[in-house]
Amino acid sequence: MENTDPSLLPSIIFTTAAQLVDCVDKKLLVVLRDGRKLIGILRSFDQYANLVLQDTIERIIVESMYSDIQRGVYIVRGENVVLVGEIDPEKENSIQLREVSLDEIYAAQQDEIDNRRRRELTKNSKLIDIGFSIDTQQEDMY
Amino acid sequence: MLPLTLLNTSQGHPMLVELKSGETLNGHLVNCDAWMNLTLKEVVQTNSDGTRFFRLPECYVRGNNIKYLRVPDEVLDIAREKNQQQREEQRKSSQPQRGGYNRQYSSSGQRGGFNRNRGGGNVGRGGGQFQRGGRGTKY
Repeated sequence: MENTDPSLLPSIIFTTAAQLVDCVDKKLLVVLRDGRKLIGILRSFDQYANLVLQDTIERIIVESMYSDIQRGVYIVRGENVVLVGEIDPEKENSIQLREVSLDEIYAAQQDEIDNRRRRELTKNSKLIDIGFSIDTQQEDMY
Repeated sequence: MLPLTLLNTSQGHPMLVELKSGETLNGHLVNCDAWMNLTLKEVVQTNSDGTRFFRLPECYVRGNNIKYLRVPDEVLDIAREKNQQQREEQRKSSQPQRGGYNRQYSSSGQRGGFNRNRGGGNVGRGGGQFQRGGRGTKY
């Protein structure tokens, strides 16, 4: 065994939900499988990575625009979590995004969804043309 | 407190449940279990587009279909208080046990040595584990 550097051990030991201990009481970005982005303070978690988030906002990001919605307390079922990331409070205010109104962001989001659906349809019909079978299940949105 | 503990303390409170399909259920939580199965009452169900609404007097949700739950802010405070109370009670009830070696030995002595050792060991270990887990999540 060459690897005896003690500083490497923690990252090897905590490869499951347990590494979330470092994130408790910190502001996190949580991305869900449906593409939603939640920003809130992690209050607790369990072995399934079920999360409790406090003072949560939902941030809708489309291209370089974003808009926030106040949401409150979330209990997120772990299965739906794609990633959890700590937010650096110092860099938080220097994001390269433009805040827009909710109406604006909803419209932009709808456009994005429509575009994706159109792309998907053309892709699928091409695939069928060359003899692939396609599954009709909706893909992950993140 | 753990997510499912918080869910438990939300019993009787209004909440919003979003299912993986995107449907949402707005209602009061009646009961829940360790699998996150729920029973709700006075529910308003919406379809995934949010265009249609259905009123249901009660409904049952199998936990695996849930995406997330939103609970009122005050439930966190209530859960925190309950947790604090429980810890105090536990501390009170565990202190006399720790000092009460004599009592433990004499009472289990009637049952024989094997039981005595196992019983004592389990009590000690169980207590330690709980406290450790509690400190990690800070509640």
